[in-house]
Amino acid sequence: MIRTSALTKRFGPILAVDGVDLDVREGDIYGFLGANGSGKTTTVRMLLGLVLPTSGEVSLLGRPMPSSAHEVLPQVGALVEGPAAYPQLSGRRNLAVFDAAGAGQGSGRRSRRRRIEEALDRVGLGGIDGRPVRAYSLGMRQRLGLAAAIMRSPRLLVLDEPTNGLDPQGIGEIRTLLRELHATGTTVLLLSHQLAEVEQLCSRVGVLDRGRLVLQQELDEICGPTGRIHVRTPDADGARALLDGQVEAATSTGLLVRHPDAGELNAMLVGRGIRVEELTLERRTLEDAVLAATGTGSDRVARP
Amino acid sequence: MTRSRRWWLAAVAVALVTAAPLVARAVPVQAPDRDAASLVAQVRAAAHHPYSGQVEMNGNLDLPVTSRFTDIGTLLGERTTLRAWWRGPDAWRVDKLLVTGETDLLHSGGLTTEWSYEANRAVRSVDPDVRLPRTADLLPPALAARVLDGADDRTATRIGARRVAGISAPGVRIRPADPRSSVDHVDLWEDPASGVVLRVDAYASGDTAPSFSTAFTTFSAAIPDEARTRFVLPAGAKVSFDDVLDIADAANQYAPFDPPDRLAGLVRAATPSGAVGVYGSGLTRLLVIPLRHRDAQTLDDQLRRSAGVVESDVGLQLQAGPLGVLVADRGDFSWLVAGPLTPDTLVTAARDLQAGATLR
Amino acid sequence: MIAVELGKLLRSRRTWVTIGLVDALPTLVAVLLAVTDLGPRPGTGPAFLSAVLHDGTLFPLAAMAMVLPLFLPVAVAMAAGEAIAGEAQTGTLRYLLVRPVGRTRLLAAKLVSVMAFVLLTVLVVAATALLTGTLLLGHENTGRTISVSGTTLTTGELAVRTGLALLYAMLSMLGVAAIGLFLSTVVRTPLAAALGTLAVLVASTLLLPLDAAHALRPYLLTRYWLAFVDLFRDPILWTNVVHGVLQQCGYVVAFLAAAWANFATKDVTD
Repeated sequence: MIRTSALTKRFGPILAVDGVDLDVREGDIYGFLGANGSGKTTTVRMLLGLVLPTSGEVSLLGRPMPSSAHEVLPQVGALVEGPAAYPQLSGRRNLAVFDAAGAGQGSGRRSRRRRIEEALDRVGLGGIDGRPVRAYSLGMRQRLGLAAAIMRSPRLLVLDEPTNGLDPQGIGEIRTLLRELHATGTTVLLLSHQLAEVEQLCSRVGVLDRGRLVLQQELDEICGPTGRIHVRTPDADGARALLDGQVEAATSTGLLVRHPDAGELNAMLVGRGIRVEELTLERRTLEDAVLAATGTGSDRVARP
Repeated sequence: MTRSRRWWLAAVAVALVTAAPLVARAVPVQAPDRDAASLVAQVRAAAHHPYSGQVEMNGNLDLPVTSRFTDIGTLLGERTTLRAWWRGPDAWRVDKLLVTGETDLLHSGGLTTEWSYEANRAVRSVDPDVRLPRTADLLPPALAARVLDGADDRTATRIGARRVAGISAPGVRIRPADPRSSVDHVDLWEDPASGVVLRVDAYASGDTAPSFSTAFTTFSAAIPDEARTRFVLPAGAKVSFDDVLDIADAANQYAPFDPPDRLAGLVRAATPSGAVGVYGSGLTRLLVIPLRHRDAQTLDDQLRRSAGVVESDVGLQLQAGPLGVLVADRGDFSWLVAGPLTPDTLVTAARDLQAGATLR
Repeated sequence: MIAVELGKLLRSRRTWVTIGLVDALPTLVAVLLAVTDLGPRPGTGPAFLSAVLHDGTLFPLAAMAMVLPLFLPVAVAMAAGEAIAGEAQTGTLRYLLVRPVGRTRLLAAKLVSVMAFVLLTVLVVAATALLTGTLLLGHENTGRTISVSGTTLTTGELAVRTGLALLYAMLSMLGVAAIGLFLSTVVRTPLAAALGTLAVLVASTLLLPLDAAHALRPYLLTRYWLAFVDLFRDPILWTNVVHGVLQQCGYVVAFLAAAWANFATKDVTD
């Protein structure tokens, strides 16, 4: 769906994006992580042809960008760096204006009314009146931006922080919406700096740090087992004596044990009369992986 | 397409658009190779040749402007656009084009009509024996006729041809032989087919740019339609008849003086025969007008305000390019002495005048 | 895209307020003239203003002569300055471009929209002027009009020439629109683009009467603006009108080319 090779953007002396090889596959919900100013938005702007790369290539839906923008972009819905609308027009009118502005697949004039109402329903603005967007709250604008992105049933959705300004309930709704869209075959590229959001939604993760893609992996692989097992037991000392050399750390409630097979470990401990209250496979968290891959946040300016 | 290539393309477009008006002018002129005398002869022969076209006049003569002296000051000191239709000496029309209207002169049947659009008024008059110059006198053919009046054709030399109103016009330079003239030279360019002069540039001594220039910007040598020169008073417009055209006409008719037959060695012409005298010819023409005290005072005030004015025992004197103006004070009246003459000649003329003028 | 832009233009309250403001000046002048019956002295004031006192059907032209030197170009500069910089400021530019709308097409649509605004303004000003002119002024109207050259024009001739003059006045705004559009692709705020355009306008007005700048005259933006008066001379003096149309077309070619060169590959980061 999206593939970039050695994508680089330089704004004067500043290297904003540095040799990024992004790979988003069809059917992914790809979480694109990175601190503010790490180059996420610039990368997305390059994907959509808003910013031209200094070097490197972008291929979107299998076609080169920005030269094939006219064929590709009608099948892409996007929310780039916050929603935007004509403040003096109503939400419906805004959607109609943007829809009429371009041509291409799924934007017929006759279906426009229906698609607008559907999109508004899906983002939870179905009952909105004719008031101008100027009078919308931040959350409503965010929902309107999402409606604009999804109203042509795109094959690819590029969403930059789509839950900004929404309350927890709204965030939940959007998450459900994205899952639904994904179930009907939409690939999603989700930009976020919230690890939790990405962890809950995404199947694949890329991490950008100061313009470089430092991690790109399936979420399952990142959050795989570490090979250690957490054993909760009141007989910690006995267990330690028994498993000498395999215990890597002690916690307040038990021990962290390196062992290839939890079942075998359990059988052995119980066999030797050690009470086991709980046995869990230790897994890596996304946070660990991201912290391990990145340095300090890019908005932090420390003394050299 | 790369950014720099786009900018190159844009630069080429800008260059083409900017150069388009220049390219037409850059095409070299080709004019027939004829000697100066034959060109001048052709101009003289074409004195009554009809023509029409648009004329651009540009004067750099900084003259004091008074309303009593018609628009002569602005005509010689500013840029003026005219449209002219000339069927012959008694059927012509010259429109002075203004941003907000026009002031037109039409002449037919011995009657001149001045139409002013903004005043919505037509003023009719019979041409007097003497008057101050007006737009029609400054059209290239009319001005050229005055320059050539009395000039020695042998002094004419060829100069380079130039394109005037789209016509490759051969050029002639006239240098006054008389040292009393303050005109250094006058350049004429003529239509090689009809002999009508298309452009006249007058230079004062020592100047590199012309003091006064008048040139066609569009030109036709065909005889204009008769209806063009006829004036039909539009409904609702005011009309009046002027007995006195301007200050020269008024002085000539009513001032009780007789100027002498000779001034500074220049001989007085037969007309006008009243109080106003015209002396010499061509580039040594001298005009003397008696002024009432009030008029002289206004002119004095305006002269004093212009730079380069000289005060002597004779009076106030101003040299604007080749044109000299002197107001000689005689107490209850004054003499205006003017012409394309050197300051010394004007002073001599003024002294001769004070000594020789008689009461009628 | 053109239809969308026109729809936005017509629905915008701002469009109508601007037109109303431009229209207010000639209407005020008409009322003042009707009340005082005092025309400007010959050679002063806008063209045709002295003539409207006896022929109200000329008031649309006087109104044009009033709004053309400043009011209309200011309105056009604001509309054109708004074109790209305004979209960038509200953030809608990026959404238009990813819709996708071709960048060159967007520029063309914006120019058309600005010119449609000019058309609308000129028509509204002319219509109100005709109304106020015939109702308040022109007591001696005889159904025939005196041309600038002193000949008589029939009502039909007057209508044709007035139409041409209005068309010419609209065309005169092409250059302003093109400059505004170009600056709108360069700067970040619509205000800066509008002020930049006005600076060009003021510079042109200042240079025009300067003898030292005579060589520049054919290139000055405002050089031929008032040439629509030439359409009321008899016979019509076409030279300046034709030069004016060509010059405005030249401005459009030059500045649209520059706008295109700048905008087609510009990084949209707003």
